[in-house]
Amino acid sequence: MSSNDKAAEVAEDYREALQDLTMNSRFEISNLTVVARENTEHALAIAETLQDHIKKVAPQRKLPALYVLDSIVKNVGTPYTLFFGRKLYSTFMDAYASVDNQTRRKMDEMLKTWKEPVPGSIDTRPVFPPDVVRPIENALIKARTTALQAQQESIRGQQALLSGRRQPPPPYRQTPTPPGFRPGSQQPPPYGQHAPPPGVNGHQQGHPLQQAYPILTNNTPQPQFPARATPQAAYPGYQPPPAPEAYQQPQQGGISIDKLNNDIQQLIAATNAEFAAKPHDTSIQTRLRALLDLQGVIQHQNLKQEQLVLVRNQVAELSSAVKIHAAPQAAAAPPLPTYSTPTPLPIPVAVAPPPPAPSASAPPVAAPALGGGGGLSLDTLFGQGALATLLAGAKTGTPVASTSTPYPPPAAIRSPNPPLAQPAPPAAPVHPPAAVPSDPMALMAMLRQSGLLPPPSAPPAGTATIPPPHPPPAAGPLDLASLLAKAGQAAGPPSSFNNINTPTSDIQLKPSSLKRYRPHLARLLLDDLGPPCTQCGRRFATDAEGRRRKTAHMDWHFRVHQRIAEAERRGQHRSWYVDADDWARSREAVDEDYVAPAAGDDDHDAGGVPRGGGGGDGEASGRGGMGTGRKKGKAAAAAAYIPVPEDSRVNAVCPICQEKFEMKWLDEAQEWVWMDAVKVGERAFHASCYGEATKGVAAGSNERGATPARATPEPTVLGKRKAEDDLPSSKSKVKLEGY
Amino acid sequence: MSIPGLGQIPVQQTPSTTRTITLKPLWEWRFESPFPSSTSTGGHTLASSSLAPPTTSPSSSSSTTAPPTSLTVKLTSGTAERDGTELALGKPYVLAGAKSKISTLTGCTLEVSGPCDDYVAECEDPDDWPAVSYLNLHFALQNQRWRAASGGVGPRVLIAGAPASGKSTLARTLLALATRQDGGQQPVGVGLDPRDGMLSLPGTVSAAVFGSVMDVETGGAGVADTPSSGPAAVPVKVPVVYYYGRQRVEDEPAAWRTAVSALAGAVRGRREVDGEVRRAGVVVDAPAVGVGKDGVGLLVHVVEEFAVNVVVVLGSGRLNAELQKSLGQMRTSLGEPITVVQLDKSEGVVERDEAFMQQTREAAIKEYFFGDAKMTLSPATQQVEFGAVTIYKIPDLSEYLADEEVLEKMEPVPEMAHWCLTVMNASVRDPLETIRYASVMGFVYVADVEPERRRLKILAPVSGRLGDRPLVWGHWPEPHINLLG
Repeated sequence: MSSNDKAAEVAEDYREALQDLTMNSRFEISNLTVVARENTEHALAIAETLQDHIKKVAPQRKLPALYVLDSIVKNVGTPYTLFFGRKLYSTFMDAYASVDNQTRRKMDEMLKTWKEPVPGSIDTRPVFPPDVVRPIENALIKARTTALQAQQESIRGQQALLSGRRQPPPPYRQTPTPPGFRPGSQQPPPYGQHAPPPGVNGHQQGHPLQQAYPILTNNTPQPQFPARATPQAAYPGYQPPPAPEAYQQPQQGGISIDKLNNDIQQLIAATNAEFAAKPHDTSIQTRLRALLDLQGVIQHQNLKQEQLVLVRNQVAELSSAVKIHAAPQAAAAPPLPTYSTPTPLPIPVAVAPPPPAPSASAPPVAAPALGGGGGLSLDTLFGQGALATLLAGAKTGTPVASTSTPYPPPAAIRSPNPPLAQPAPPAAPVHPPAAVPSDPMALMAMLRQSGLLPPPSAPPAGTATIPPPHPPPAAGPLDLASLLAKAGQAAGPPSSFNNINTPTSDIQLKPSSLKRYRPHLARLLLDDLGPPCTQCGRRFATDAEGRRRKTAHMDWHFRVHQRIAEAERRGQHRSWYVDADDWARSREAVDEDYVAPAAGDDDHDAGGVPRGGGGGDGEASGRGGMGTGRKKGKAAAAAAYIPVPEDSRVNAVCPICQEKFEMKWLDEAQEWVWMDAVKVGERAFHASCYGEATKGVAAGSNERGATPARATPEPTVLGKRKAEDDLPSSKSKVKLEGY
Repeated sequence: MSIPGLGQIPVQQTPSTTRTITLKPLWEWRFESPFPSSTSTGGHTLASSSLAPPTTSPSSSSSTTAPPTSLTVKLTSGTAERDGTELALGKPYVLAGAKSKISTLTGCTLEVSGPCDDYVAECEDPDDWPAVSYLNLHFALQNQRWRAASGGVGPRVLIAGAPASGKSTLARTLLALATRQDGGQQPVGVGLDPRDGMLSLPGTVSAAVFGSVMDVETGGAGVADTPSSGPAAVPVKVPVVYYYGRQRVEDEPAAWRTAVSALAGAVRGRREVDGEVRRAGVVVDAPAVGVGKDGVGLLVHVVEEFAVNVVVVLGSGRLNAELQKSLGQMRTSLGEPITVVQLDKSEGVVERDEAFMQQTREAAIKEYFFGDAKMTLSPATQQVEFGAVTIYKIPDLSEYLADEEVLEKMEPVPEMAHWCLTVMNASVRDPLETIRYASVMGFVYVADVEPERRRLKILAPVSGRLGDRPLVWGHWPEPHINLLG
């Protein structure tokens, strides 16, 4: 019973730790390996957790998780090998089917190593027995053959396609976006692979969520999956996964402005028609206006690729919105049969540039086909998304858990050939109208904020939910002129905080203004800040800086977790408060500031934080605290510090240079320290000063320098020693250090 | 089922049933949870002193499986926050000894277990919902911070109001919201109410930079959030503390003013050299004062000292009018006009009765020495000779009026038992004035005084000598508990 509990607990902890594994971080992977090694009695639970995690996690996070598996089987071995072996086929193939080609190559390499003995081991047996690996290999070979054939076909098709126009610029959209995570579709994707963890409405699912709210996060021109882009120490034996690559779709390229224009034109026409049918609906009017504005921007400004992507996504949103708006209407207004087709795909088939009249039976097949025929268009661009849907559809048909079920050949994802479309329609998600942010004001606001649009000359009336963006007052911190000047530049993350300024600038410090509910502001404190840390809820942006902070933050969590148990055993105590001068001089050191020493590559397995640890000798003097100095830092000179002496008699200025010690709250040590300080006997010196001063003296005399100092008479002790419970601190200190 | 006599059996606490609470946007789940039973901390930890490992099993499970005696809350979907600090999804939080709320901006479901008295407050009209105005207030301040990004000074806010109007909660909320924004702004929080004590024991005024996420379980500004020698799961806040030593501000207004001025000096000093702090501004939680001339005068003093440019008055129309009158023509030392704005108090604010306040104070003292459920601390007992300590007493009020001395030196007396003495960052050779208004280094608890042997037994957070630090015996917080009993 209790062991069951314990196992469940370990599994739960492990699961949580895995949640944080977003990238190929050697540090985290080896930590997870160590945890697995230390809990071999719960190997089954851990193995299941990991398998489960690999199965459920978003595709771009599968590889790190697989590396954990790999690391565990190679470094720990049995019983994990046994437990993983049972389901290795499904674990591996499952992941293989959902990741991109780069990752697949990594997985191929990994698979290869599984057939060989562990490098450096005397054991000559392969990592996994051949009967476990072989089925996987066979399946892969089969898949590759199919893929090759499919590819050849698609290349033929593409050549025809490419011949008609110039070579597209390199693909911008680097990551295959599963349609489930397409902007605005908050509906959970119906297929297992990409589904967020159960019971979660998407918030825990860090990065994919980003994908879900491009409208909201107007800070970054184009949300990307952050996890993979971070350059990080490679997991031993493997290359770090390179930046996410596109699906193998050579025809996919940049966005043609003409095409976009065309799409917008279509949309305008559609909206016009809708407007004609419902002249009193102001929201349609607004949308129309927004679209016209957008068209102007596209036509008159030279936009960058990423901005086009932004616009394109928006157009896609709107067009699907139009469709849905139109659909119920169609019955009443027969003149609009064009849009009456209830398309099962979230893809805006209806905006396809050629005559927008797909017949009811056609759409799924028609989308890629039209794209192929009509040059680069939204359809082609979204073709990959469509395919992902198709694949997903195919997958839902196949029970994921079952190992016996033959997998759809991976070729299915690789090329957008029409024949592949056939398994799709029934499973494809139909978006409820509510899920689509059909509000064109969001688009306009966003464009405005990224500097694409001038401020509204006459704010369109009638938006129900979101108040019209206020033209910032002249005194406002952000003038639009500067934003406009930036038109044509991508709105970089650094300026993002300025950008979100606009929605708040109408708030006055008056009761009437403060009382007004502004529902759109909530996101400034939530989603706009990025996904939260799973441990403490702190949010981190998804730009490079945010990722760096998050990594540092997670490392910090990890270190703290490690040390809490340790500290409990050793005994800890409340620190004295600092005095006013020191407080004024101190700085908040939020976890990221101290990442550098911990990110070092040494000493991983213990997860121990290498302490700067200078001045370990001097610390035996009378102070409590965790300044045990038992780990002598290698880089004592570089990071010499001592805990701030709680004994008031220690000099606060360096006797050599007569300057005060720099006090800092050192997160590493979890205490106040004097930087660049050493303690010699009862006196503290700047490490550098002391080093200078004692340079002439023979090496090693530093240590002994303390001896004469100790000979000085002990200053008066507070209270006389009495009985056992009155141990002077130096003695208790020694005792504490035993732990 | 009616079995005779069954009704006589005292109903055991119902086995902690887990309930699910669903909140729509802006709704609040308000709860009152009892203090943890006082068995965990106290005697046995002390017996081990700092020498032996605490006997409590340091199992890693302590965070995941909460004892059924405490209220445990888990966010299962959506987003939720306590006083501006977001809850992490799926993480159980133990909320003991609190009268507080969990609110949501987007809607959420909570899983709640353990004893508590609670209800869900539904938001009927968002425009008439105080929490909305607090949120807008944050963004109004945030506008000022954004404006200050290019080297200016962020907003300095004073939160005033009647007793039990949610001042401290609003102050904490504003701080927490500010730390969330822009990748972690670092505002200064200032607590001036000696009845409570922010990040410190009651009887003090204090300030700290809130540079990172606050602790959902403690509320974020309790004694448990201050640094200890061990690692903390939630980043600690480092306060600078001054001792006032009385319960009410009006008891000795001059002393309180001086302490506030000293504190403001420290904050100014920090602001001058710390750009992060300068940009993020200051949030001052003022004590409840009378609306008469004296009370308003005290607030004006605070406004002057902290160069406050935004005064938020909660609930009290009279105070608002008085402050408008007093501050309307004033300018801050930086030349800005002072805005006084009155906001409604949340009807969720509950009166904390004296018993609850006392429990809170006791808990604070206990936490100071022994830590809380998450972190066990081991204070050190010491036997000290009378001659080795220098104790000053803050004079009784009646005496004080006749006497110009701010402190009087005294021998330890048995009456000191169970009091907390304040250790000052000063030297016994300093003038009395300096000692009294020096910053606080910490507190020691007098366990026992033995006049016949001229010894006293004290409990100090840190083992080691006190050196020549003077100890000050004030009038607040009063001794309620025997920590070593």
